[in-house]
Amino acid sequence: MRVGDVMDRDLTALSEHVGLATAIEVISRHRLTGVPVLDDDGRVVGFISEKDIVKAALPGYFEYIQDPSFIPDFGQFQSRLKKIRNEPVSRYMHRDVISFTEDDSDFFVAMTLIRHNLKRAPVVREGFLVGVVNRTDLLERIMVASEDEL
Amino acid sequence: MIVTVTLNPAIDEEYVVPEFVPGGWFRATTTDRSPGGKGINVSLVLKQLGYDSAAMGFLAGFNGEYVRDSLKRLGLTTKFVHIKGETRTNVYIVDEVGHVETGIVEAGPYVKEEALARFMVYYRRLLKRADCILFGGSLPPGVPQDIYRDLIVLARGEGVATFIDAAGAPLMAGLEGAPTVAKVDHRFMSRLAGVRLSSLDNLIEVVSGLHDRGVEWAVTSYRNYGNVFFTPKGIYLGEYDRKGLVSLFGSDDALMAGLALARTEKMNVEEAIRFSLACAWENSLHVEKGCRSREAVEELVDRVHIEKLE
Repeated sequence: MRVGDVMDRDLTALSEHVGLATAIEVISRHRLTGVPVLDDDGRVVGFISEKDIVKAALPGYFEYIQDPSFIPDFGQFQSRLKKIRNEPVSRYMHRDVISFTEDDSDFFVAMTLIRHNLKRAPVVREGFLVGVVNRTDLLERIMVASEDEL
Repeated sequence: MIVTVTLNPAIDEEYVVPEFVPGGWFRATTTDRSPGGKGINVSLVLKQLGYDSAAMGFLAGFNGEYVRDSLKRLGLTTKFVHIKGETRTNVYIVDEVGHVETGIVEAGPYVKEEALARFMVYYRRLLKRADCILFGGSLPPGVPQDIYRDLIVLARGEGVATFIDAAGAPLMAGLEGAPTVAKVDHRFMSRLAGVRLSSLDNLIEVVSGLHDRGVEWAVTSYRNYGNVFFTPKGIYLGEYDRKGLVSLFGSDDALMAGLALARTEKMNVEEAIRFSLACAWENSLHVEKGCRSREAVEELVDRVHIEKLE
């Protein structure tokens, strides 16, 4: 099956110039885990996830200790988040976006998402966002298909 | 791509209650719950006719989630700004026996300035990919009453055809932007002109004034089952048979969807009128709003009666 038949045709995205505070608001209010980032022409140039934002706000030493038990409270995280709230998403987004086209097969997409440990990825047509494919939507589709075969 | 703008979407709850009167306690024989708002309804009809469109506007709360999820399951392209509050619920009671429809609508959630600014970013982005934009319905609190004018002017600047179906001050402002097609409520025009539009001549005189404002097509209801179309090729009266009608709820939206599709498929004036009225007619033949299929609409096209008026 084509991924174009399974994808979510929601075009919620961020402009690369908006601040991280806006990104957090959009991700939270739309109940998403991440959103595509677009340039001024509407082409996909990146992807920013909640994980990227958390990583950006964590204290610099976290990378070395790799253990959250050393962090006593939200204090440092909060003040750092406040400091970077107006910085553009382009600074923290992933630029090497894994994206698909509508004609890609659902199996190819599922395998790629698993291999790269991604929950969702943009689907593009000539560089423009036309939808997003979610791991859960693929799982649901596979489950429904298997029930139909029974 | 056709883009539909619904700034104040809703969940439409339709109850069929025979012999409904205020003050009683009734049991509905049929109920239907669906995502709604004029623009969304147009997007749904376009999908039923086999045409993809993108729906945008504001959604809020659990009702917003329901609307968004329903549209997602139907495979519609969406680009909504999610805001605080709750998307409204509109209730319609259809009395099949007395042939009376009763509606109760809510105001909708408050839209803050930041949310409106985000909508404008989304709108400008979608304009680049749109061939035709349709604006429909009321405005939620917080949205300026003249927003339709600004949105139409922006679209015209990009060479995008614009359709508007609204009422009151938002429609008046929208008409100042000179949309390509305007659906104007007969009762509203009557109030606007300050005269009772009891005759066809009267109606023609008032609505013809819209052409002077730069509106290419103006459509207004005439009697219950027909419309007058003011087109660049003349004025037409189109009507369909009232026999077998179940609910007129959503038929204006189906008509607008038909007109938008007719423009996209480059139908001539008469074909466009027939097709759009067939959409409205098909919509009226069942409780659920929308059209069953393109084939069901096509079956009615030749049975629509149209007459060119002098």
